[in-house]
Amino acid sequence: MRAVNHTIRNRAKLTGWLFIAGAVLMICLFYFYPMIQALLLSFKTGAGANLHFDGLANYKRLLSDKTFFTAVKNTFLFLIVQVPVMIVFAMMISVLLNDSKLRFKGFFRTAIFLPCVTSLVAYSVVFKYLFGNDGLINLALMNLHILSEPIQWISDPFWAKVTIIIAITWRWTGYNMIFFLSSLQNIDSSIYEAARIDGASGPRQFFSITVPLLKPIILFTSITSTIGTLQLFDEIMNITKGGPGNATLSISQYIYNLSFKYTPDFGYAATVSYSIVIMIIVLAFLQIKLAGDDK
Amino acid sequence: MKKKATALLLAGFMLLATACSSNSNTDNQANTGTEGNTTGSQKITVWAWDKNFNIAAMNLAKDAYVAKNPDAQIEVVEYAQDDIIQKLNTGLNSGSASGLPNIVLIEDYRAQSFLQTYPDAFQELGDAIKTSDFAEYKLGPTSFGGKQYGVPFDSGVVGLYVRTDYLQEAGYTVDDLQDIDWQQYIEIGKAVKAKTGKDMLTQDPNDLGLIRMMIQSAGSWYLKEDGTTPDLKDNAVLKEAFESYKELMNADIVKVNSDWSSFLAGFNSGDVASVPTGNWITPSVKASADQSGKWAVVPFPKLKNAANSVHASNLGGSSWYVLNNDGKEAAVKFLGATLGSDVALYQKLVTDVGVVGTYKPAAEGEAYGAADEFFGGQKVIADFAKWTAEIPNVNYGLHTYAIEDILKVEMQNFLNGTELDKALSDAQSQAESQIQ
Repeated sequence: MRAVNHTIRNRAKLTGWLFIAGAVLMICLFYFYPMIQALLLSFKTGAGANLHFDGLANYKRLLSDKTFFTAVKNTFLFLIVQVPVMIVFAMMISVLLNDSKLRFKGFFRTAIFLPCVTSLVAYSVVFKYLFGNDGLINLALMNLHILSEPIQWISDPFWAKVTIIIAITWRWTGYNMIFFLSSLQNIDSSIYEAARIDGASGPRQFFSITVPLLKPIILFTSITSTIGTLQLFDEIMNITKGGPGNATLSISQYIYNLSFKYTPDFGYAATVSYSIVIMIIVLAFLQIKLAGDDK
Repeated sequence: MKKKATALLLAGFMLLATACSSNSNTDNQANTGTEGNTTGSQKITVWAWDKNFNIAAMNLAKDAYVAKNPDAQIEVVEYAQDDIIQKLNTGLNSGSASGLPNIVLIEDYRAQSFLQTYPDAFQELGDAIKTSDFAEYKLGPTSFGGKQYGVPFDSGVVGLYVRTDYLQEAGYTVDDLQDIDWQQYIEIGKAVKAKTGKDMLTQDPNDLGLIRMMIQSAGSWYLKEDGTTPDLKDNAVLKEAFESYKELMNADIVKVNSDWSSFLAGFNSGDVASVPTGNWITPSVKASADQSGKWAVVPFPKLKNAANSVHASNLGGSSWYVLNNDGKEAAVKFLGATLGSDVALYQKLVTDVGVVGTYKPAAEGEAYGAADEFFGGQKVIADFAKWTAEIPNVNYGLHTYAIEDILKVEMQNFLNGTELDKALSDAQSQAESQIQ
């Protein structure tokens, strides 16, 4: 009897493996194989197809590459300014939209989530035209007499950064809001009721109940947003192409330039990509540590 | 249980099988290609960008060829230039030229980076064209190791497009703009701004095309003759170009634009009085039909102090290359018979598309001497052809765009007050670490 049980269990195990075999195969083929290839590539130097192993040469070059550090600096600036602003926005909007007395909730939720379903390239191109020197934003601001001269949104190093931050905030706030909303709906309304009976004000409820209970979601959204911002590419590529004068160059745009805009240097481009991987690992680790979540 | 597992396995195999079969399909196509080659009905695929210019020109070449060779099959495909570069790089880097076209258009600035980094990927043209028939400055970028790989195409010769009506208002005639230098240009610009309120030109601070035109007019480049050593620090010509650019920017005569369409809008809407750029802009200038008769083209201004500077330069320009894959013989034959030698075709290119080629015998043709009413009856094509012959030959090398990205940053620094020598020596050291 035991032997029969054993074969049945074995068989069940085998079936289970068969079920996931396809997926495992595909993941190995399309995720792990390229990842390992890219790592190997990062140790090679040479232009185009003339690649040869050159030890740590690319990594040494990375450490003395001024353009790379400009790209890292820009990317982190976007990260530090944009991610907190966006998460606070998303949280505030979700709390407002979660109000049981609010009417047309569905409409507002859809409206704020809508930017996330637009194509990255399409919205970037639209932003580029909105923020052009003769674009709609400048026209509106001038007609309202807020400005006397058009702002060089895309041609000025400072304003170009601002434009990118506005664009990515517009695109991703609604996306994060959805996570907060779903989490808010899981908070028992009796907690708020009790707080109200105890005389807690609205802001007090927000800071003492909502925020602590949303902590796991704050952590989740900040990690995903960090990863997203470190890989920022579409907006930069389509709005500023990294300009003016590398003022908005992101790490991903730099990788693109190294591979396709300059004389192709795929080895060094792979090295720069691996620097993003390392940064993401470090940042995610820090965020989890700081949030003190031991689950 | 067993049945399910078998079904799954089967499904998996089928997936793999379809993947393989689609592969073998392309192989088959390539094979039929080779077979077709022997019978002479090989299909030639051409990739290029710019529908109104390069594609239109290639279609004319195709029509001319098909008229004489009714069997020939030529397919012209339009992609954006960036897409072509990506596809070529990924395709050639993977070591397989299948899936790539037979003929491809490559910008002269990038030509060497393809020819040198993918040796054997391109077909030598050998006897298909006579190199001495083409403008000399085009031969540097299109050849490598003493062998000719490209069919030199459009000239990219630059001129200074000017609005005669604005100049008149400011008290100048077209004659005053013949053979001027950049200082005189700036003075005229200031007068135009004072009298008409219009800016003299429009510039994208993220595009150093003007610097490139200025230094080539004096036979200088970002790299030394060898095409690999950066030549930025102590490059007197580059220094003068930077200084002239700063003067221009500080004179308050520049309308800043941020991309191609706002660049076009700058002159199409009548906001600027001049456009210093390549001759390929002619169709875009002419796009505003209501400005007919108000434009003229004068020789490109030269650098005042650079001894070698002439009133001719080049911006952009591209050439045709044949990839070393199935069908290369047919492709070489096609290019040699059309853009490599057909004078009549070059006349059509001028009249129908406005392409100024670099094939010298074509300049004798009638179309090159025609007067253009849009430019007040000026024989612009003849002028461009004349300037084409004067363009100094420089070696663009492999790194034009990499160095330019470094220079853009240093240009911003220079405009914001950094010493020029420091800016250029910083650029030099960055370029040296970048290029290895």
